[in-house]
Amino acid sequence: MLDLRVLRVDADGVGLVALGSDRVVDVLFDDRRIWSFWVRRDTSRGGTAGGLAGGLAGGLARSITWPPAMRPHLVGTGSVTLREHVSGVDVWSGEVAFTDDERRVEFVDRQGHPISLDKSDRFSPVFAERTAADLDPLLDAMSELLDVLAAYGVAAFPAYGTLLGAVREGDFLGHDSDADLGYVSSHSSPVDVVRESFRLQRAVAERGWATYRYSGLAFRVEVVEADGATRFLDVFGGFLDGGRLYLMGEVGHPFEREWLLPLGTTTLRGREYPAPARPEKLLEVMYGPSWQVPDPAFKFETPRQVTELLNQWFRGTGHARRDWERRAAQRRRRPVPKGSSALAKQLRRAEAPGTLVLDVGAGRGRDALWLARQGHPTVAYDFAPRGLQKAQRTAARRDLPLDVRALNLDEWRWVLSEGARVSRLPEGPRAMLARHVLDATDEFGRQSLGRLASMTLRGGGRLYVQTWTGRGRGGAGLVPMEVGRVQKLLERHGGTVLDVAEAPGGGSDGGKGSVGKVVAQWE
Amino acid sequence: MGLKRDKDLVERVARLEQEVADLRRHNLRLAELADLVQELLVPMAQRDQERVDAAIAAFQDSL
Repeated sequence: MLDLRVLRVDADGVGLVALGSDRVVDVLFDDRRIWSFWVRRDTSRGGTAGGLAGGLAGGLARSITWPPAMRPHLVGTGSVTLREHVSGVDVWSGEVAFTDDERRVEFVDRQGHPISLDKSDRFSPVFAERTAADLDPLLDAMSELLDVLAAYGVAAFPAYGTLLGAVREGDFLGHDSDADLGYVSSHSSPVDVVRESFRLQRAVAERGWATYRYSGLAFRVEVVEADGATRFLDVFGGFLDGGRLYLMGEVGHPFEREWLLPLGTTTLRGREYPAPARPEKLLEVMYGPSWQVPDPAFKFETPRQVTELLNQWFRGTGHARRDWERRAAQRRRRPVPKGSSALAKQLRRAEAPGTLVLDVGAGRGRDALWLARQGHPTVAYDFAPRGLQKAQRTAARRDLPLDVRALNLDEWRWVLSEGARVSRLPEGPRAMLARHVLDATDEFGRQSLGRLASMTLRGGGRLYVQTWTGRGRGGAGLVPMEVGRVQKLLERHGGTVLDVAEAPGGGSDGGKGSVGKVVAQWE
Repeated sequence: MGLKRDKDLVERVARLEQEVADLRRHNLRLAELADLVQELLVPMAQRDQERVDAAIAAFQDSL
């Protein structure tokens, strides 16, 4: 290969010289694909050129570093191959020592399943590693889900990578890790298609599947494969309006109804599934005219206007949720920290014994667990409730009055239904703890917290708020929230502010940033 | 004159874009409210406490 020369593969990444047209290279460890990149699009000029790279080659050198998700795995020595994806030609192969450790580089998850990087740069057990028996439950779930949707008048079909794999290869794409369904609603206004998506999720949840909403027009269904691995089946809604097809989350293109309906069929792993009447038309708007050429490092180039439109219509239902879920997942095996925050202690001192405490944004449940230990019936809420599993187990073991619930402040349906639920609980004193919530959510979430407080605390309940006010260093994911803004927000929702305090950084609360505390009461 | 008019138009377009974005965002919120009311209003209006509790629990299970 004269026009693609690899100069180095080392602990930092790959250095190469790439002339001619851009193309995809797979990176294999022990002959198993782990990652793929485009030799021009994804690399940058320069970088240390080792080995033979002098003169001309050195001047043309390009480089790419290992993706952050891959780095924790690069311990010890590995047998690396760089292979041109389309031609299958090996362009480099050799042993690479990433660290001095006496071990082989391994890419497996906790259950020992081989994992690779998917298109979102996340590690998951990709389809190429799965056996037919492993995938049967997913194929069954797809059929079953299509039936459920059909019962609600929605003609769904495999979409995105799943449609591409079926049409091009009759199989799942080897480097893909989830399955997608899409449908085009008979409605043509965003309000109606969102309401329909809510109804569909309800129908799916009623049949016992675990579901999770991404946006107003997309949710996922969790399917457990034969060996216990969880696979996600995403359901993307769409609609036709004014000669355009809008399909969550990447499509907003001119499209003919006849290209969709009546649905035809396609074959996936020997099973027949519905497909758009002209699947190639849909694949072209999803993946561009070169959809027939395999590209494991594909990145959507959705026009900015389409993304903005879909954002404004349907998104905004989970501010920074993925970041919080990632943090929750990373910490979920660690013990819940001991003790409590100063704010929880303040609440404990001021409130009557037995006061019901609603801890919103409970994180790992340190305060909630501590309050339950003090005898307060406590509800710990978080929109990444996985982080609360440990606290929940501890509470169950010790018979502590702790209830763990999911709550998403970026959806009115969560907030208002929870407000209604709590208002129906037996009467008694109530308090709410919101430590680093207003500074972790967006404006919609802040208003929601005020609304939830006004629904659940009326009759004399108090809210204890703590935020980072902007000086010094705030915690991960926090934005400054001055006490004056907090005060105004709570007053707007009918609260009477009882106490405002601000401490400079370096206080006893652990953070080095400045901290504001506001206590408000609802009559 | 021309420059000022151009500047005014640029500002108006930016403002209109902002207003359109704000209006578009109402779609999701209106759908949420309609869904909530539709699912919970009837049991609440019937004042059947058990059904209210069941309706809230079923609603939250599907979020």
